[in-house]
Amino acid sequence: MPTYSLYMGCSVPANYPNYEASMLLVAERLGLELKYLEDVACCGSPNLRAMDYWGWVIVNARTLAVADKLGHDTVTPCNGCFGSLKDVYHLLKHDTKYRERVNAELEQDNLEFTGISRPRHFIEILHTDVGVDTIRKKITKPLDGVGIAIHYGCHLLRPNDVTDFSPMILDELVEVTGAKVIEYPLWKQCCGATVLPVDEDLAIRLAHDKLKSMKEAGAIFALVVCPACCNQLDLQQLGMKESYGEEFHLPVLFYPQILGLAMGLDENEVGLGMNRVPAAPILQHISE
Amino acid sequence: MTETNERKGPPEVLIDPIDMSELDPNFRKEIQSMPNADELSACFACSTCTAACPIANMWEIKPHQLIRMILLGMREKVLSSNEIWLCLMCFECQERCPQLVRVTDVFFDCKNLAAEEGRIPSSIVALGKELIDKGQLYIVTADWEREDLDLEPEVPGLSTESVKRILSETRTGRLVKGGD
Repeated sequence: MPTYSLYMGCSVPANYPNYEASMLLVAERLGLELKYLEDVACCGSPNLRAMDYWGWVIVNARTLAVADKLGHDTVTPCNGCFGSLKDVYHLLKHDTKYRERVNAELEQDNLEFTGISRPRHFIEILHTDVGVDTIRKKITKPLDGVGIAIHYGCHLLRPNDVTDFSPMILDELVEVTGAKVIEYPLWKQCCGATVLPVDEDLAIRLAHDKLKSMKEAGAIFALVVCPACCNQLDLQQLGMKESYGEEFHLPVLFYPQILGLAMGLDENEVGLGMNRVPAAPILQHISE
Repeated sequence: MTETNERKGPPEVLIDPIDMSELDPNFRKEIQSMPNADELSACFACSTCTAACPIANMWEIKPHQLIRMILLGMREKVLSSNEIWLCLMCFECQERCPQLVRVTDVFFDCKNLAAEEGRIPSSIVALGKELIDKGQLYIVTADWEREDLDLEPEVPGLSTESVKRILSETRTGRLVKGGD
């Protein structure tokens, strides 16, 4: 059974236990061992990077160094954490001077960044290490071809030389569940989460435009793999009735929730009741 | 691109001359000394970054202009601009630069320099304060939800002490203290 260090960050456990629980159950059924990485730091988000580059590098380098001790690859379900860890990993892998400076700092904690443990997004593990063919064999209740719009999220895709993530990954993972991937014009656009603290109206505008684009393209559901994107597309959707006079009625699900249902998990196991826009309509699209 | 206000008619001066005395020739070196800015001077202002930016037409100073201003040494104007803080940090510009300028990374550098001089939105300092006080950005408020799903009650694995300790000794700590 392949083993991974699981880095949760703070947003998924605090805001989206449905994502955490469905990920753990799906991983177990696919034979992946995910062990919570202990004694690690919050990634601080891109806004910490904006304010304090050095501090951001150190907190994330420390996490990477803790994972290096165990030797397993580090898996995270959050694009924000993935972006931070992967960016710092990329920096320290390529900039030896910076790496020396960082390691001198980590020495106080008897830690050293060696780069053994690679930071990876849970979705990429599913695609690369498990594989679509293996997942296909585990699908017992396929979806009925219902249209799902995928929101990858910026920090999963870009900068691509750092994230090393192909935008085909989720397309293939969604298709294997039996759902149909809906292409829409604004698929690459930002959800607005990072700018939320600075300009709330702009952040909501971006989420609104994105939902509109999905809906107009014919999506019945939207899919995310990041808690910050989920805040923007799911939670903020509720307020758009007031701010824009528009209601999209577009349920937003995390990928492991959809995969879990297609693998025979029930709605409670994937925490379907915690999605803000009611997501129960997905159950009508799952074969008996 | 996201739509914005209507055009206001042609400007009074077609090209506003730069006041050379306000230029800081070391500004580009200052940026280039920071990580990921090696290719900065390869910019030839093609404005692909601006075409890629989802919100550039809300900006008075466009992304390619900011890069040009850095190269010219317009330190004061760049570091005091709202635009650097409105950047979505979505990396669309950087992804498309044909000259491999790491545009978004460079804007991160600008924000760091501005922050060092205290020119930073209070909402971002407030996030720093959260990190120093609590050691994490989000805390569990609905532990019954976690319990219902058989998850441990708190955020798993986080050492909030290490975040507090590290960041109180870096710029975050100085900015948070300064704001008290």
